[in-house]
Amino acid sequence: MSKSKRTPGRRLSAAVMLFYFLGFLLLALRDMDRLGMILAVAVPVIIFLGTSLLPHLFPADRLLLSLTNFLCALGVLLLYDTRPAYARQQVIAYGIGVLCMIVCIYAVRIVRRWERWIPLLMLGGLGLLALPLLLGQEINGARNWVSIGSLSFQPSEAVKLALVLVLAFCFARRRPLPGLVFLAGCLGLLMLQKDLGTGLLYFTTGLLLFWAASGSLPLTLAGLAAGAGAAVYGYRHFAHVRRRVSIWLNPWADYENAGYQLIQGLMAIASGGFFGTGLGLGSPTSIPVYESDFIFAVLCEQFGLIFGICVLLMYMALILRGAFIAMQARRGIHGLVAMGATALLGVQTFVIIGGVLKLIPLTGVTMPFVSYGGTSLISAMCLVGLIQGVESLNEDDLREEAHLARLEK
Amino acid sequence: MALLLSGFLILAGVYGLRSVSQYGGRWFSYAANPRLAALKQQVTPGDITDRSGLLLAAAGTEGRTYAEDPAIRKAMVHVVGDPGNMVANAVETFHAGYLYGYSSSLLDALTHLMKPEEPRRGNQITLTVDAGLSKAIPEAFDAHPLTRGKNGAAVVLNYRTGEVLALISLPSFDPAEEADLSALDHPYFNRATQALLPPGSTFKIVTTAAALNLLKDAQTRHFVCTGALPVTESFTVRDFGGTAHGSLTLRKAFLRSCNSVYASLALEMGDTALRREAERFGFNRNFLFRDLVVYNSAYPKDGQSNEALAASGYGQSALTVTPMHLCLLSAAVAREGVLPEPRLLLRVASSAGTPVLRFSAADAGRVCTPEIASALSDMMKATVQEGGSGASAGVSGMDIRGKTGTAVSSAEGRTVSYGWFTGFNAQAEMPVALCVLVEDIPDGETGGSTSALIAHDIFDYLNTHPEPVSNP
Repeated sequence: MSKSKRTPGRRLSAAVMLFYFLGFLLLALRDMDRLGMILAVAVPVIIFLGTSLLPHLFPADRLLLSLTNFLCALGVLLLYDTRPAYARQQVIAYGIGVLCMIVCIYAVRIVRRWERWIPLLMLGGLGLLALPLLLGQEINGARNWVSIGSLSFQPSEAVKLALVLVLAFCFARRRPLPGLVFLAGCLGLLMLQKDLGTGLLYFTTGLLLFWAASGSLPLTLAGLAAGAGAAVYGYRHFAHVRRRVSIWLNPWADYENAGYQLIQGLMAIASGGFFGTGLGLGSPTSIPVYESDFIFAVLCEQFGLIFGICVLLMYMALILRGAFIAMQARRGIHGLVAMGATALLGVQTFVIIGGVLKLIPLTGVTMPFVSYGGTSLISAMCLVGLIQGVESLNEDDLREEAHLARLEK
Repeated sequence: MALLLSGFLILAGVYGLRSVSQYGGRWFSYAANPRLAALKQQVTPGDITDRSGLLLAAAGTEGRTYAEDPAIRKAMVHVVGDPGNMVANAVETFHAGYLYGYSSSLLDALTHLMKPEEPRRGNQITLTVDAGLSKAIPEAFDAHPLTRGKNGAAVVLNYRTGEVLALISLPSFDPAEEADLSALDHPYFNRATQALLPPGSTFKIVTTAAALNLLKDAQTRHFVCTGALPVTESFTVRDFGGTAHGSLTLRKAFLRSCNSVYASLALEMGDTALRREAERFGFNRNFLFRDLVVYNSAYPKDGQSNEALAASGYGQSALTVTPMHLCLLSAAVAREGVLPEPRLLLRVASSAGTPVLRFSAADAGRVCTPEIASALSDMMKATVQEGGSGASAGVSGMDIRGKTGTAVSSAEGRTVSYGWFTGFNAQAEMPVALCVLVEDIPDGETGGSTSALIAHDIFDYLNTHPEPVSNP
């Protein structure tokens, strides 16, 4: 790669680093806070490591890296503004996330015999998902957290990786049944936890991946119909599902209780208008769960709806890039792994942003990379790691071919 | 697949943009918004004046002070608002974003950054309403024995520009005094924009438009009215007072307000056709006007029985409408079939005088072709000027056209009659449309004998005081 080709990527990274340096500096000077000063240096350093140093280890996609790092750092910035203690935890998770991403890239590069790992992943995944039912506690109406000592985490986030790998493996081997059984098992456990959002996420990802692998539209539509049937059944038989739908249809009917969160989110977005109130201004903390599910509303209030749309476009670029990488992959399983990870991130983004904007019923999932939550951030970084791993193999293959072509001459 | 997902994200973006541009102001000014409460602590709200500059509400040492004249305070309370914010969607609440300077100009924001010690002041709002005209309307209610002390509403607007010149709801109360209002029937309720009532015969405007649109021989056909039209064994349409109108054309049926003819027209055209026409005229539409909240009028969506359909022909079924919407219908007829968007804000300026918002007229959609509008206008002219049901609204020297209505609705076990008049002046130099509602009129009285009198007084007032229309 020639030097001139690299410059735009570098400039982008530099601009992103400057943006966050200034953002944290502004907030730190407002409160005269030491943590802000540290973050003003630490976040650009992580971005530098993540976008500029990483491609030296193995061929990686710079665009994907820049987008991921921008979104992660955006989450830290918004959290620092609203609740500094969260930002401290988030930046640590961000650092660990970068490392985990590297681990995942290596895993995709090294592992050749996936069949050894798949049964382990399946058992581990189901086991992890069953944990909250055994020793979890209910947070925000869903029983999907596990606390061991001071450490608490959401198993369904970790299982996302297992889901993508298992489904990709089974579909690539043209033996979809074990994968589908695993998916059904996961869905069952999630429904027992009343975690509708994650259930929707797993189901849609499975369906999209099945479509990508089989190319059979009728079977996919049949799956979709089955999902719709299950949704109707859920609506008829479970009060918490009906509640979600009625809030979505008319949150104003009970704005002091049921619709409160959604309405506060909409108000925050409306108060920001198109250009936002500015970083550090407005009162985004009035939205319940602003730090995770509703971070998109926080973002829109402070930076404006135009910026919110730009963030949506970033996710879109990420999806298109991921799908492109998946289509370039040489081995079926690699293509499906990249496709699965992309689908999962895309669906998750749509489910939460659509929910916050009152386009679809709100279900509690996090906004990838941005929302507060260590497990969620790390699992999203790992998913990007899987895509990057596939990309690095693609690059290797291209270089090898170019080398062979030169030899033949 | 990636394209599908990208498509969903684009959908979310477009939806977000659309909802913020359409509902953003409404969401912001919602009372539960904590940002509003925070602003109220820091910012002195701006003044509200009428179109001539008369002060309607200002910041006093303790809370808001209102207009000096108690009659003006009472007449304007539903437009301006009250200290306790009991009136829903009045300017003080619905336009709090302007009054508290949340949507102020960039220049003001910068000025405030430079001089943070100066108290922040919100924007000044100049309304399109005229205090003199507003004050004259409750006086007109009191001037006639049949309407004295009655509840009701009136809307007056300039149909060229959409400026609301008066918006009155009775009973009213004085925002500057704390009085016991328990004897009054919903004094906080703004009937002009929120009361959803059967339109009665005023709906014949819509039925006529549908007939002119769908039936080729509508204008030449001769109808026969015997005073009663049996629809089913148990339901017979009766004309007011059982009068048999004999053989008559559509135009005669309109000006005599003959129920049998309109019931038969509705039955002939069918429910779907009539509903489509009503929807073109704004029924079942989500009114999202920028300046004021108007409740949505309804035409039943899930099909009606023949009895209900026959009654819909003359506006007497589950149909509901607000006085504001009926006023807009007259305005649309006057404007050759195009609805104006009603506007309430003439100017918004920062405390330093920088303009934040300037008035701009806008259309709110076409309801019928210019030909049909002109035929309707002609029939409305006959109703007032050729001895029709609205004769008492006529003013010499003006070209008043209109339609009366007498709607019946049963509330709390008792039948209540509502008198309606909606109409306009067809002279280009005085483009005024209005709608008057009088609630609970005595038995045997009609819109023509009650509301049309008030309409006459309003037109007459404007004839002698043309400033609200002539001074832009």
